[in-house]
Amino acid sequence: MDNPLSQNPDSMWGRFFKNAELERMLDQDLTRLYPEPGSYFQKPGCQGILRRVLLLWCLRHPEYGYRQGMHELLAPLLYVLHVDVERLSEVRKLYEDHFIDEFDSFSFHENDSTYKFDFKKFSDSAKDGNGLGKGSVKFSSLGELDPRIQTVVLLSDAYGAEGELGIVISKKFMEHDAYSMFDALMSGAGGAIAMAEFFSPSPFGNSHFGFPPVIEASAALYHLLSIVDSSLHGHLAELGVEPQYFALRWLRVLFGREFSLDDLLIIWDKIFSYDNTKVNKPADNVSNSTFAALSSHRGAFISAFAVSIILHLRSQVLATENATACLQRLLNFPDDIDLVKLLVKAKSLQALAIDANNSTSPMIYPGFYYRSKSVSTRGHSLSLDLTSPRTPPNVVPDSYWEEKWRDLHKEEEHEEGVIGKLHKSRKGWSERVRLRLSRTESDQSSSKVGKIQKDQKSPVRKTLLKDLASQLRSDEDTEKTVYDGDIGHQDPVEVNGQEITDKNFGSMSEPRYLSGNAESEENSSNFSDSPSPISGSNGRQNDSGKSSIASNLSINENDPGPCGTTPECSTLPISDSPDELSLKCAQNDNSLGKSTMGMKERKFLSGKFQWLWKFGRNASEGTSEKIGACEDAKACIGGSVQNIVVGSLTADGCDSSSRISEETVEQNLMGSFRNLGQSMLQNIQVIEAVFQLDRGHTGPLENSSKNGFVGQGQFTALAALEELRKISNLLSEM
Amino acid sequence: MVLVLALGDLHIPHRASDLPPKFKSMLVPGKIQHIVCTGNLCIKEVHDYLKTVCPDLHIARGEYDEETRYPETKTLTIGQFKLGVCHGHQVIPWGDLDSLAMLQRQLDVDILVTGHTHQFTAYKHEAGVVINPGSATGSYSSITYDVNPSFVLMDIDGLRVVVYVYELIDGEVKVDKIDFKKTTTSNA
Repeated sequence: MDNPLSQNPDSMWGRFFKNAELERMLDQDLTRLYPEPGSYFQKPGCQGILRRVLLLWCLRHPEYGYRQGMHELLAPLLYVLHVDVERLSEVRKLYEDHFIDEFDSFSFHENDSTYKFDFKKFSDSAKDGNGLGKGSVKFSSLGELDPRIQTVVLLSDAYGAEGELGIVISKKFMEHDAYSMFDALMSGAGGAIAMAEFFSPSPFGNSHFGFPPVIEASAALYHLLSIVDSSLHGHLAELGVEPQYFALRWLRVLFGREFSLDDLLIIWDKIFSYDNTKVNKPADNVSNSTFAALSSHRGAFISAFAVSIILHLRSQVLATENATACLQRLLNFPDDIDLVKLLVKAKSLQALAIDANNSTSPMIYPGFYYRSKSVSTRGHSLSLDLTSPRTPPNVVPDSYWEEKWRDLHKEEEHEEGVIGKLHKSRKGWSERVRLRLSRTESDQSSSKVGKIQKDQKSPVRKTLLKDLASQLRSDEDTEKTVYDGDIGHQDPVEVNGQEITDKNFGSMSEPRYLSGNAESEENSSNFSDSPSPISGSNGRQNDSGKSSIASNLSINENDPGPCGTTPECSTLPISDSPDELSLKCAQNDNSLGKSTMGMKERKFLSGKFQWLWKFGRNASEGTSEKIGACEDAKACIGGSVQNIVVGSLTADGCDSSSRISEETVEQNLMGSFRNLGQSMLQNIQVIEAVFQLDRGHTGPLENSSKNGFVGQGQFTALAALEELRKISNLLSEM
Repeated sequence: MVLVLALGDLHIPHRASDLPPKFKSMLVPGKIQHIVCTGNLCIKEVHDYLKTVCPDLHIARGEYDEETRYPETKTLTIGQFKLGVCHGHQVIPWGDLDSLAMLQRQLDVDILVTGHTHQFTAYKHEAGVVINPGSATGSYSSITYDVNPSFVLMDIDGLRVVVYVYELIDGEVKVDKIDFKKTTTSNA
């Protein structure tokens, strides 16, 4: 028997109580909607319409029920309708004549015979502006009206000249229109973005990932952000700010809470101007990589707009150090947002979003958000320039670890003399770590030390390397052989290069970078020392020890590009190419070089001296006058570099154990490096001019191995010059 | 759709320890708008429990109630109906319809709710309705030991009242429904 206290939820009384609960929640929300006194939404008429529309929709869609936020989607729609109706009635009052319904006999002007012909002729003549001579005094032709008023008149004209336009705006049907608009918005009208899905807690039917749609949409947002600005994305991920913390509010009410009503209407105009149909390539229907949220133009625009908001707040977000502060920044917008700029940016990102969605991305798999975090931290080092968001995915350079792995393998090949297997496929992150762990201890520490140094400044990497940091500390004082430190690792030179421009850049990386390049120069010079490998080893042996970290960093930095000819490697910037070349030419010498380099390096400073000295020596073996000039130039550079580097190294030395760096020293370093970069550039220009003269005499220098000692020397010198040039560019950019 | 719960004669803790669990599970807060209680709760804890089910609580004093300040009789108006509550030990003979009708005329109510007999009854006569919700805990009375736990829920809707009777018979809750219609509207 159906009774009020029955536990059966399907009973009439059960449903009654459920609906009563719904109504109660709805009323609560409605009273809080735009509660300013005098607000349109608090008027009883509007509240009544809102209440009825929402109740009816929720009762018709019991699977969604009523969720907070639905009223905020409906409210602006109703507002727009209301404003339009009001405008229409205003215009009607002012321009009554044009609204005369010719088929309504009561509104004829009986005394005017010209009104008795058929309507079409009348409207034509009215449009022509000819007016009717005997018309009423107030009559003004349609054509003379303000174009906006004209539109209003024509839209509401049931028997308009355009044909059966019908009545578009009508006060009587305002509620009906509001309901239809709301229903279309919620159900997505068969498109990709159905707002109602954002309110449902359960994974939607065709979600590939098994997550609730709003979580998925938030993740789509982060995915787009990671493509556009992975440093910001990495920062947010590292703080533990899951996208749905703020994206939930943004997406569920389509940014209704973030902007004032007028701004919101502009944004919604833009959003709704985009088509909502799915833009899936047919072949991709079974792929697991597409986000439902991004698979329509409208959805892509919504995500792109959200990303552009985040980018607008970029500096503030990056400055925050914990998740709470970060969320505060993201959820409280400044009032002076330039909407036009945001919309334009969003438009540019939208195309990227569609592309990103359509191309299969390897980052997506279940549990993707958390896992993709690790991917993003890898990609962190390769933060892309904001002004060029469109990067085709196949040109994305390898991340830091992948390069390292590749280099490690290349060293192996060099050792065994096997050259064939240069190309390795991308391995999972864990595999890479395992691989690295299988290498010698020293390798590990050397490859990771650079990371650790960066960790001091850029906490992004600290989670990756905590254990290795402890290992490093233990290794600090022991002599280790770093047998392939110089040759093998592909750099983080370019990583460092990017890091320099990165916001998290600390000046700790500067000395590293510089030392790294010095080392690589040393490398190339060592390679060129084929007839005198011993000198190279002497150079190394003469290194006296200051901070192991600095030296290990230098090892780290010395990663010449892979000898392989992979096109990806060719896109790696800066010093890789000269290293490549030098490696190529010196391939046969690698074993020799390795043995020399197999010693422990504790100091690169004196190594720098050695390099300068060696280079000077080489130069002297070539044409004297040109090389003399080079030598002088190099000496100057070397001298200035040395001074500054000494300063930095002492700083590093003192602090290495405590792992703190002094801010003042760093600031001085910053300025000095800038100057250094400029001076280097000047010197390089001098040397290059010198070499231009020489080039005419000798053949092509690239890929020439042992063309004669002079040629080789020149070649290596050129390579070193290119490297120097790049360093100086970066330094001066700081 | 005003729901009014009528119950009484719980005799907690003297004759019974608690309401039957099935009754307790049905009496969830939020559904019921008023409670009229015939009395003999007997202690304050029961009063507090009833308050959690519904804050609008009207009690008439029974002879075993430890709270002395409940009134002997109480009247209230819900919708179009006037309700009266009395424990019923004052009306002699106990449970006699004519005497109760006399009380109803005295109080000038449409619906009179009394207890004391621990037996559910619902009478209708031209003046109105007399309802005895029985004992909600099924405690024994001075008259009989054989008592089924029962209570009454009234659904007052305009001029119509639907009386649902919930009885615990053999461990199962049985529900019965009685319809009453009021012929004239009450004066303001």
